[in-house]
Amino acid sequence: MLSVNNLVTSYGLIKALKGVSLEAREGEVTCILGPNGAGKTTLMFTLAGILSPDAGTVNLLGHNLTGLGGPKVLNQGLALVPENRLVFPDMSVHENLLAGAFTQSKAMAVEVSEDIDKMYTRFPILKTRYDQLAGTLSGGEQQMLTLARALMSRPTILLLDEPSVGLSPLIVNEIFDIIKQLNEDGMSILLVEQNVNKALQVADYFYLLDQGKVTFGGTPDQLQNDDIIKRAYLGGE
Amino acid sequence: MDTLQTSLDGLMIGSTYALIGIGFALVFGIMRRINLAFGACLLFGAALAIYLEPWLGWGVWGLFLVTMVGAALASAYVERLCFAPHTKRTQSMTAMIASFAIWMQLDEISSQMLPQRTHAYHGLEMPTFWLGEISVRGDQLLHFCMALVSIMLLYVLLYKTHLGLLIRATADNPETAYLLGVRVPWLGFIIFLVAGILGGVGAFMILSADGYVTPMFGMWSTFKGLLAMILGGLGSLPGAVIGGLILGVVETHAGATLGAEYRDMVTFGLVFLVLIIRPGGLMGVKIYRTESLAQERI
Repeated sequence: MLSVNNLVTSYGLIKALKGVSLEAREGEVTCILGPNGAGKTTLMFTLAGILSPDAGTVNLLGHNLTGLGGPKVLNQGLALVPENRLVFPDMSVHENLLAGAFTQSKAMAVEVSEDIDKMYTRFPILKTRYDQLAGTLSGGEQQMLTLARALMSRPTILLLDEPSVGLSPLIVNEIFDIIKQLNEDGMSILLVEQNVNKALQVADYFYLLDQGKVTFGGTPDQLQNDDIIKRAYLGGE
Repeated sequence: MDTLQTSLDGLMIGSTYALIGIGFALVFGIMRRINLAFGACLLFGAALAIYLEPWLGWGVWGLFLVTMVGAALASAYVERLCFAPHTKRTQSMTAMIASFAIWMQLDEISSQMLPQRTHAYHGLEMPTFWLGEISVRGDQLLHFCMALVSIMLLYVLLYKTHLGLLIRATADNPETAYLLGVRVPWLGFIIFLVAGILGGVGAFMILSADGYVTPMFGMWSTFKGLLAMILGGLGSLPGAVIGGLILGVVETHAGATLGAEYRDMVTFGLVFLVLIIRPGGLMGVKIYRTESLAQERI
């Protein structure tokens, strides 16, 4: 569904991605693991159109997304939930959700409010806090808000950059339950994670990213069974 | 009674400072930049209005229209030339220095259109109202109402429209806004345009109340607008309004009590005092706090 071929992205002279190729299949949860500095966030930003690659292609369902830029990529159906839960702190929860629907034209106002109702059903905590300023929410609530906001743009594939970072284990469980639920409802998901345990529970396929290159691609079983990789990247289990 | 009269006069002139201050605060609050050429844009609008007056012959409302449109066009011009090419956070200095240069350019163009030291800027011929011993000039009252209407329209734009939502989101966090599909460069253009329109209204109010325009108007309105914005808190729109009103009232009182020579000294002294006691301006340091918190998180 989403195929990435030989993606090269640099920051000035430093090559962060040195030819990354991977595939996220429709209806599956694909997970990218790797140590810090491997280039995971760079990859997500390149896919979302925030960074422009030097070489390589990004294809979503046959449409070429390479180098298109944030708004156009969003229009094609790729939504990114960035690291660190970037909500709009001085706007209410409700307004944040409205913000997620920026790319939906004003003529679809009815559908936008229907979408918001759907979000409130899926995330009841947001409904209780719909009037509150987003900056005053707890970390877990902000993560749910960022998720719901991304869903407002009606994506075909959802990109998640380290959704568990900075959250307590209980909340992390809740978030991953939601991710699993979304996938069961048909959403394709590309997930970057540091929390290997949780990732193992939800993912259908894994990629390991190290120093800008993909070093492993396989299913959870294959990952579990490969001792070398386990010791090198997962610190032994 | 005198105090009341002076305060009333101060509010009238303060409302014009508020509009110019909003022009600066819009650009700073949303784009995190100061348009140093803003005052010169207003002068350009006024100069254009007087220059075209013989051709158009629309009278005072013609002056109003052309000042507003001229200021908006000049503001948009500055945006395209100085601010649009330098959008990264690290380039805000570059953009502002560029706008400083265009300040000179617009001042010069305006001087070409208005070669004399003063030019008549016709105001409305309206009666003066008397409430007991308080006198209120009819045209200043109308101007005050115009300022009120402008501010209310701005409020409606920002809080009740889709565009307003885009603007507030971009002000909160431009990167996230871009992530959600906001075309931030286009939005910057709109902001400068709106700032120009509001500033143009303010310029018309001052100039038609005074009855004339001089080449110093560019620098003068820049100072007043910046002072209003600093008093109220950088980037805060309600702050710019309050700052402008306070500036007007204090200034008028100082002029009435101490004489015109000390008026500016008192005004600048007030700003100095506010900056010592409350460095973020009257409405606080919200923007800086949010930014520093965000930096800490990352």
